[in-house]
Amino acid sequence: MANDAGGAAAGIGASLLRREDERHLLGRGSFVPDIKLPGTMEVAFVRSPHAHARIRGIAKPAGGERRVFTAADLPRLRPIRVETQAPGAKSPPWPPLATDKVRYVGEAIAACLAPTRAEAEDLAAQITVDYEPLAAVVDAPRDMQGSRHPVHEGWSDNLFSERVFAGGDIEAAARAAEITVRREYRMNRQSGAPLEGRAVLAYRDWRLDEIVIHASTQTPHTLRVAIGEILGIDLRRLRVVAPDVGGGFGPKARLYPEEIILAALALELDQPLRWVEDRTEHLLTAAHSRDHHYQVTAYASRDGRILGIDAEIVVDAGAYGLWPQGPYQEAAMAARCLPGPYAIANYRCRALTVATNKTPMGPYRGVGRPGACFAIERTIDEVARAAGRDPVEVRMLNIVRPEQMPFTSIGGMRFDNGNYPESLRLCAELLDLPGLRSRQRRGEPDGRVIGIGFAVFAEQTAHGAAEFVARGAAIVPGFESCTARILPDGSLVLMVGIQSHGQGLETALSQIAHHELGIDPARIAVRHGDTETSAFGFGTFASRSMVMSGGAVARASRALRDKLNRIGAHLLQCDVAAVRCRDGAVRGPQGSVSIAEIAKVAHLRMDGLPPGVDPLLEAVATYEPAVGTGVFSYATHGAVVAVDPETGFVELLDFAVAEDCGTMINPMLVEGQIRGGVVQGIGTALYEEIPYDEAGQPLAGTLADYLMPGAAEMPAIKIGHLHTPAAATEYGMKGMGEGGAVGPPAAIANAVRDALSALGAEVNETPITPRRVLAAIEQARFRVGGPTG
Amino acid sequence: MTAIRVIVNGAEVIDNVAPRTSLGDWLREGRNLTGTHLACEHGVCGACTVLVDGEPIRACLMLAAAGEGSEVRTIEGFDADPLMMALRDAFHRRHALQCGFCTSGMLITAWDLIRRGKASSAAEIRRGLAGNICRCTGYTNIVAAIAEAATAAEGVGDGE
Ligand code: FES
Ligand code: FES
Repeated sequence: MANDAGGAAAGIGASLLRREDERHLLGRGSFVPDIKLPGTMEVAFVRSPHAHARIRGIAKPAGGERRVFTAADLPRLRPIRVETQAPGAKSPPWPPLATDKVRYVGEAIAACLAPTRAEAEDLAAQITVDYEPLAAVVDAPRDMQGSRHPVHEGWSDNLFSERVFAGGDIEAAARAAEITVRREYRMNRQSGAPLEGRAVLAYRDWRLDEIVIHASTQTPHTLRVAIGEILGIDLRRLRVVAPDVGGGFGPKARLYPEEIILAALALELDQPLRWVEDRTEHLLTAAHSRDHHYQVTAYASRDGRILGIDAEIVVDAGAYGLWPQGPYQEAAMAARCLPGPYAIANYRCRALTVATNKTPMGPYRGVGRPGACFAIERTIDEVARAAGRDPVEVRMLNIVRPEQMPFTSIGGMRFDNGNYPESLRLCAELLDLPGLRSRQRRGEPDGRVIGIGFAVFAEQTAHGAAEFVARGAAIVPGFESCTARILPDGSLVLMVGIQSHGQGLETALSQIAHHELGIDPARIAVRHGDTETSAFGFGTFASRSMVMSGGAVARASRALRDKLNRIGAHLLQCDVAAVRCRDGAVRGPQGSVSIAEIAKVAHLRMDGLPPGVDPLLEAVATYEPAVGTGVFSYATHGAVVAVDPETGFVELLDFAVAEDCGTMINPMLVEGQIRGGVVQGIGTALYEEIPYDEAGQPLAGTLADYLMPGAAEMPAIKIGHLHTPAAATEYGMKGMGEGGAVGPPAAIANAVRDALSALGAEVNETPITPRRVLAAIEQARFRVGGPTG
Repeated sequence: MTAIRVIVNGAEVIDNVAPRTSLGDWLREGRNLTGTHLACEHGVCGACTVLVDGEPIRACLMLAAAGEGSEVRTIEGFDADPLMMALRDAFHRRHALQCGFCTSGMLITAWDLIRRGKASSAAEIRRGLAGNICRCTGYTNIVAAIAEAATAAEGVGDGE
């Protein structure tokens, strides 16, 4: 592949093509299952078939001693425990291999080892576990205050946490209301489903006296911290490597039992061990997400101005809290985002996080935001309907205006800057709203009905210490690091604590170093995802890596530039104030010296160094944004749907995004993130769901029952940009990795509602399946025709 | 164990395989051809697509033993192929991959669509990709890249 870097076209704002592409296009990427070590044993797990049961005994087959490992065989395995300072929060211990009880279908009970996976599965099938099944907790709103067998012993209820968020005077808003809208919403449980599942390869390196763990993870450094703590060994004896990772989206930003178990086995056995998650295991045991229930009451004036929101949010968090942040942040984030990008004066929200006998809940692109956006944006549309006004007009009436910035929402989000109304206007323009409205009036020749829906949201990104401390987090991911090293030939290596798994950070970070130093990106390597090569960092999640790691790269590059200038000025025999580092050289009034020449002096010819300047060209820098509460990207998503009232089938005709993420380092990558996120959001809106039956059995175990969006049913996605650089970050960047997935459920549900308005039907639950659409139409007909008229 | 003789990427391979070993596992574990990815192992996602006797096949669904006497071509076997070169170049320029896990399967499926003349419009390409899941890109850029390579291929001939 051609090297596309060169000159100004490679710096900030350039759509530089990705350096990551070549290896994947040639089929030469290196994912965990691609790494081959002689003598590797494959691991298969015995997993609970019950949602809730006591374990009375485990019987191993004869001869299975060194091949079957239960909790009793691995005394090193201490329980995973999430620390939290969140008031009133409960944090149950989670044994990596179940001891006396299982609490969800798929929970690991024993690890079985064999030369091939098939043989390891054969072995797992020979283990007999004696269970005493218990009634399962499966309905979070029903069972949160208690159940016959609580999920965790010693609990009187099933609540991980309960918090109330309030501001203003909601009772006064209720009294003043001319319009009151009440709705219940539900965003159902789903999987993050990166195309590559999880995977772990662990082995002992005798020479370095360490355990090496290759894992498909977004957070290698914190994983090392957790494994060290749980197994009780020094971090110097643990190396965690995340090589190529086939998508993450949040579920891979958590510690899992399998990672600890394989590390413990590697300490025990003198053999490499590998576990590669299959798709059924992924759907059963990798973090689930969403599963929010909302009750929302909106109070408004006659013209549609929102006076107050009164709400209850119940999040079904599953059986355990995933390390490090536990189950708490989902409900709290939803509660704080529920007032949306609107100037609302009065608010009350009770947010409950419930333990159930289901797979533990973890982050997935957007975390609590898609649910909150769904609830508030659906509600705004209903307020508009009650006021007899267009939903776009009612949004304009309530939205935070640019002259109000910075604006702290009643949910406590401090929006830094931007023109929110303009994103709404631009999105409507991208879809040609007037044209659609007249098409809608004309009607469709095929009997379908079309509808248009919008969703506006602001997205907290790159939040630092202030935000995580306020959440009561025990681990505060407030910074990132970069070690920048110029080698003797003038090429540059950036070693960073984040992990890039599709975002293109190897490319984008090299653009920043290129901007600061003028080194051709083709001469810059970016090393990430390895505790051995970089200083500590938190990893890639929460739309933080470009802002945080990019900031660290900028600072480390500048430190190198200062040193290059000092050495360069000395070589040019001029004052350091008279030189500039530009286009790969230090330039003075009378001439220039290339970075390669300076690098040679700094390493191989130290006799050329100025007095008092040390050899080497290496800098370590950390970075956290000037504001710890995050910088806010924002967007309006618009969806156009055609609904068939006979079949309930929803076709997506068009989708547009008008967004602002401040300064874009690489617009091509930004648009890639937006489109990918939108299609995931469309999956939430229309297809993806893991239902559970009353016994706590998950009903989607393959990709035949768990539907993911395919190319055939996706529209091309239109994108329009606004540009409001952040004041608190390097170059004015804002994070933007998650927003794409936030808006689609709300925009599509509003579009479906718009299409069905003549029938009076609405669908307030995702995914909006044909069955749910038909049920809504049926219900509306019953309402119209029924006794209450 | 079953003895098999298979042409893999142009070279004859003789091996013994367990009857239950899938072609995908055999290619990856037995032949170290790790460019063939496994993402569902039940025939839905298309990540494992390879050519068997010129036809796209899900390597997770076919048994290695059933490959006896056939010719298998994996992503590693296209290095000098002009149509694949055009596709790779278009995928690169159009930003049609992110994590890269679906990419081998996407490329082989796209190669086959173009060869069969089934890539003449965006809608046709989207239909042709119905059996290949990408979780990262949202497909827009994949469709654009394939359309571009298809147009380029018209001038190049049939790509072999
Ligand atoms: S791995 Fe073969 S189709 Fe998914
Ligand atoms: S690029 Fe990640 S699945 Fe397609």
